[in-house]
Amino acid sequence: MVVGGGPGGYVAAIRAAQLGFKTALVEKEHLGGVCLNWGCIPTKALLRGADIAHTLKEAEHFGFAFDNLSFDIKKLVQHSRSVASKLTHGVAYLMQKNGVTVIDGSASLADKCLLEVEHQGKITQYKATHIILATGARARNLPSIEIDGDRVWGAREAMTPTALPRKLLVIGGGAIGVEFASLYNDLGTDVTLVEAEQRITPAEDADISALAEKAFVQRGIKVLTNSIVQSLDTSGAESVALISGPKGDQHLEFDQVILAVGITGNIENLGLESLKVETEKGFLQADGFGKTNLAGLYAIGDVAGPPWLAHKASHEAVICVEKIAGVDGVKPLNKDQVPGCTYCRPQIASVGLTEAQAKAAGHSIRVGRFNLNANGKALAINEAEGLVKTVFDENSGELLGAHMIGPEVTEQIQGFGIAQQLEATEHELAQSIFAHPTVSESMHESVLDSLGIAIHQ
Amino acid sequence: MTNEIKPINMPKWGMEMSEGDINAWYFAIGDQVNAGDDLVDIETSKIVNTVTASDDGVLRAIIGATGETHRVGALLGVIASAETSDADIQAFIDSNTSAAAEPEAVAEVAAPAAAAIETAPAPVAIPQTANGLSKLAEGEDDSLVAASPVARRLAAEYGVNLNNITGTGRHDRVSKWDLEAAVLAAGGRLIGNSINKSNGAVPFGDDSNVKATPVARRIATQLGINLLECRVSGDRGRVCKADVEALAALKNKMPAQTDGSATVSSNTVESQPISGMRKTIAARLQASKQTAPHFRVHIDAEIDALLEVRKQINNSNSDAKVSVNDFIVKACASALMKVPAINVQFDGEQLSYFSNADISVAVAIDDGLITPIVANANHKGLVEISNTTRDLATRAKLGRLKPEEFQGGSFCISNLGMYGIKQFDAIINPPQGAILAVGAGEQRPVVKDGQLAVATVMSLTLSSDHRIIDGAVAAQFMSVLKAYLEQPATMLG
Repeated sequence: MVVGGGPGGYVAAIRAAQLGFKTALVEKEHLGGVCLNWGCIPTKALLRGADIAHTLKEAEHFGFAFDNLSFDIKKLVQHSRSVASKLTHGVAYLMQKNGVTVIDGSASLADKCLLEVEHQGKITQYKATHIILATGARARNLPSIEIDGDRVWGAREAMTPTALPRKLLVIGGGAIGVEFASLYNDLGTDVTLVEAEQRITPAEDADISALAEKAFVQRGIKVLTNSIVQSLDTSGAESVALISGPKGDQHLEFDQVILAVGITGNIENLGLESLKVETEKGFLQADGFGKTNLAGLYAIGDVAGPPWLAHKASHEAVICVEKIAGVDGVKPLNKDQVPGCTYCRPQIASVGLTEAQAKAAGHSIRVGRFNLNANGKALAINEAEGLVKTVFDENSGELLGAHMIGPEVTEQIQGFGIAQQLEATEHELAQSIFAHPTVSESMHESVLDSLGIAIHQ
Repeated sequence: MTNEIKPINMPKWGMEMSEGDINAWYFAIGDQVNAGDDLVDIETSKIVNTVTASDDGVLRAIIGATGETHRVGALLGVIASAETSDADIQAFIDSNTSAAAEPEAVAEVAAPAAAAIETAPAPVAIPQTANGLSKLAEGEDDSLVAASPVARRLAAEYGVNLNNITGTGRHDRVSKWDLEAAVLAAGGRLIGNSINKSNGAVPFGDDSNVKATPVARRIATQLGINLLECRVSGDRGRVCKADVEALAALKNKMPAQTDGSATVSSNTVESQPISGMRKTIAARLQASKQTAPHFRVHIDAEIDALLEVRKQINNSNSDAKVSVNDFIVKACASALMKVPAINVQFDGEQLSYFSNADISVAVAIDDGLITPIVANANHKGLVEISNTTRDLATRAKLGRLKPEEFQGGSFCISNLGMYGIKQFDAIINPPQGAILAVGAGEQRPVVKDGQLAVATVMSLTLSSDHRIIDGAVAAQFMSVLKAYLEQPATMLG
């Protein structure tokens, strides 16, 4: 049985059914989970709108002129909701196609290998030899600032606005905060982004963060790093934030605040405490195959810890189920091969170790860099801000990490992922023929640069 | 193709076989036969198997008709070219039917396809004794035994010592076919998609050198078809997809059951041939019941103390979900150490004592049952037994057990308690010596010190092979087992 119908849960159910298990999935809200309904998918739909806004703003460069450009945010939101709904139905169809029983309700563990599902007042018990928890995670609050759905939005509210805010404060410069900052700025809002660490997107390579910040500042987003929001006074017509930074304190006014400071696993009300299931810092502890310390209980996806990405959940789902079934050759997920993508403008995509991490791990490395302002296609489409950085192990030639910022890099990073999976070295990558003119060529040039033989820079 | 007349003789499968029943012919008189084709199904008390053609030719005569019983070595049919005269055929038959017991070594022929391949003997010249699989494993270092690479690899998989197999392949080396025939004769099962092969479609020869298109090769692997048996009609002398499919279609022709009576009921009947697994279960269990004189010893055990200990273990260890059956496995393992005369395998000639308790646990699966083995159960703790059993049962139901995980075992436990069955008798799994049938633990009235009381009682029935296990020994085992179940703490010592 699987608890949770997101990209971890529904993939686990499908794979289990494919392998011959009698499978059921319990979901308390909507199939597709946060990803399809309140996360990945709707935000990408909205960000497409932001891209269009940007294109329209620079259309003059390409010879276009027009009057009376208007924008109806409700229509954009409607588009994102209809995409989410379509995909949810798609998951329901996949459940049916694979013979997975879908049970509506809220599940908790009554005992080992025993689930109790509550739905509209009725409680039903289910016995299962193997139970996979894929309950996901939710937004964290700060001690002094909580999401109230009104002045302080979480991601869910931020992706269903009824009107554009005038002055927006985004607290948190990780992937989610950065995406919302970029989205609202492109749509016309005055955005301030506050991050406690030294740079925005702190999980990315330092060179990428630097370029991202530069691009944001050029767009008019006020970026405050090394800063924290001490308190938020929502009593007046506008909210007043007390922000402490390296230059001291300042009070700034905003009509909307988005809180994006991290997430915490949904581990409450599952009956885990009485069964002594081990957790750590708000997430379930599981081994490389998703097995927890409780007999017959497994945990995958966001609820099982970082990285909190849908594709990590899906792969963990397959690994967990295949391991239970005894499929040959199942290996634990290699976290160094999970790509991370941020869909702000310019887009960010990376996989593997940053330069700093590679050095800290003791590798002697070769680094290649290629700046997109030398890439023909990027110039042709007027999106020549960006960088491709590749980090190789000097001895083995192994691609330790690849870091990209620029147009559509989220679609390009898979090339580096495939190279890692096949254990390619710089040699094979240098020999691979990339088509011209593409932005992807910069991937090839970055590899050549690591060998000191870049042609176009 | 030669002009010689080739006989089809009753094969000798195992030392004990003296005769066989003819179940079905795959061809009729006048049909073209290719080397390697299945010719006729023969059934003995131990096995149902198929004789394959060793030659190309036309089936000219059938002497052993369906339903008849013939002695080993008897002439059953004749293959020759279409041109050979009837008179010659008859003369051949006459000169061969007076001879009797000795099986003839069948001549070897070149199979149709191009490159270097193994020759194709009929399943006759296997003079090894009808030993259990364990006997096949014994022997000195067999790395110098002449064997094909495929046979050597499979021998390792089956755990068979090549010294025990007589080779009839090229230059008298052991071929894959020799190995598989020996395994089947010893009562074992073939590896891989063997569930379908074990009904008698015996492959012969090593077909890895046969020229075939990649698609044809893959289809052949999936269907368990040997490429040597396929005609060659593809370009550049390769077996192509159509050739493999043609052979598959031919193999799927099942012999019709002659049913004389006309049914006069409005009942609709849906007949289908039974699956390979069902055939194997049928053959083995019939052989078991017919060969081993079963006797049964029944005892009841009070398991209240055991249930209490189980609760304690499950509560104290989050990774533990120990079931009552896990306790029974442990108790049997301990009892087998105390009464080793039950921990045996018997193949009819040799009695093998085991130093550890490898306990087979019967698991019901779609269309049948399988008995995965908890190895060395006497060395495993309850939680380990529990986790092992659960993993084996999960994979058994998915069809993902490795052969060594269900072939072997020195004792078997079958538990129908979850269906509410109070008591039943099980059939011994050959070549084991005994099997324990476990019923449901239920509240029953008991008498303690002359007074009526209530306890949770479970019925256990041991079926034993009286050729090697006597009543007193079986009774002693059950009494030891009962003591362990009623006082689980004594298993700790």
